[in-house]
Amino acid sequence: MLSLINKFKNNAEARESKDEALIGEMVFTMAHLGCPVIGIKSGADLQYVRFKPVGDEVLYSFTIVLDRKTGDGALQQAVLGSKATLTFVAEVKNHIADPDDLVAMFRTDMANMLRSPWFGDIKLDHQLNSITATKKQIIDIDDYAGADGADRDRLRQLLQGTVQELREKVAPYKK
Amino acid sequence: MSEQLDQVFGQLVNRSWARFSENLKAREIDDLLVGAVITAAVAQGNALIDLNSDGGHHYLRFQHLQHKHRLMFQLTHLTGDVASAKVLQHHAAVTIAYGEYVEDARTVWQALKSEVKSGFLDVGEPGVFTVDADLGTGYVYVQVPLLLDLDQYFADHYTVKYPVLQEHIAAVSQACAKYLHGRIAA
Repeated sequence: MLSLINKFKNNAEARESKDEALIGEMVFTMAHLGCPVIGIKSGADLQYVRFKPVGDEVLYSFTIVLDRKTGDGALQQAVLGSKATLTFVAEVKNHIADPDDLVAMFRTDMANMLRSPWFGDIKLDHQLNSITATKKQIIDIDDYAGADGADRDRLRQLLQGTVQELREKVAPYKK
Repeated sequence: MSEQLDQVFGQLVNRSWARFSENLKAREIDDLLVGAVITAAVAQGNALIDLNSDGGHHYLRFQHLQHKHRLMFQLTHLTGDVASAKVLQHHAAVTIAYGEYVEDARTVWQALKSEVKSGFLDVGEPGVFTVDADLGTGYVYVQVPLLLDLDQYFADHYTVKYPVLQEHIAAVSQACAKYLHGRIAA
């Protein structure tokens, strides 16, 4: 019994739980966008959640990593606010079994991608049979973590827009 | 000959992917449930205030934004591979706790903590209520361990039956709250 309480860090003050509250709102919003959670890891100030865009013929997964930078203490909160880095990763996975197709893909798509991997603030990468588009963004958690309508609308727009933006970048590489 | 061997290779890879996907789905169903619990709890007016997960053991804590009561979940998937899932069906050890802020939590806890000394505490029997207190925040909790079939919460692999999940969470919360109020009043 005692062990269950001890599994949590003692977030006595609400400001220390803002990143968790934001993750909760993100999971809620992504579920309403048709993307359930398929992976979750969480430790001190770094949260990783992987979502499945169900029914999407391009995206295999969409990952959000929240890395809290400021706002743990009252002074930091007052001076800097609660800043966090959000890393979004959209993944395309190709299940190609024909070696000729694989060779052709490496000669054209992958060569092009490696020559110019950056599209503005989005980075394209290729590892084995996955192609990923990654975008990092610094946000103020207070703008998105509230459960009121305005914060939820902002968060929905951020997530929906980012999924769409990254999807467009990796879509040409889906075979 | 070359073309035929390419086709055979393609079949081997495709069959491997089918096997791999089957295994992957068996492993990720607990993550799907964690996401579903978060979604269901947030929809009911709770904020996630703690999240601790190593991918296999998941710990969640919520606080109701209006009433301030808290819910805690501990989920451990017990059938994380295809063979055990097929034989035993997907199930998980889930402990749910309900907590309320109590003015004089220390005094209440002194009155209730005798059961922590019980030798039966850690035998893992489901449905047994126990009480605990977080004196740092003034919350007193009642928790109950359960063994839950996971398939009942999914229409298909990625579609959650939220009404069923929310009803089960509400039922356990109500039972724990009744026990907590009864013990504090006694």
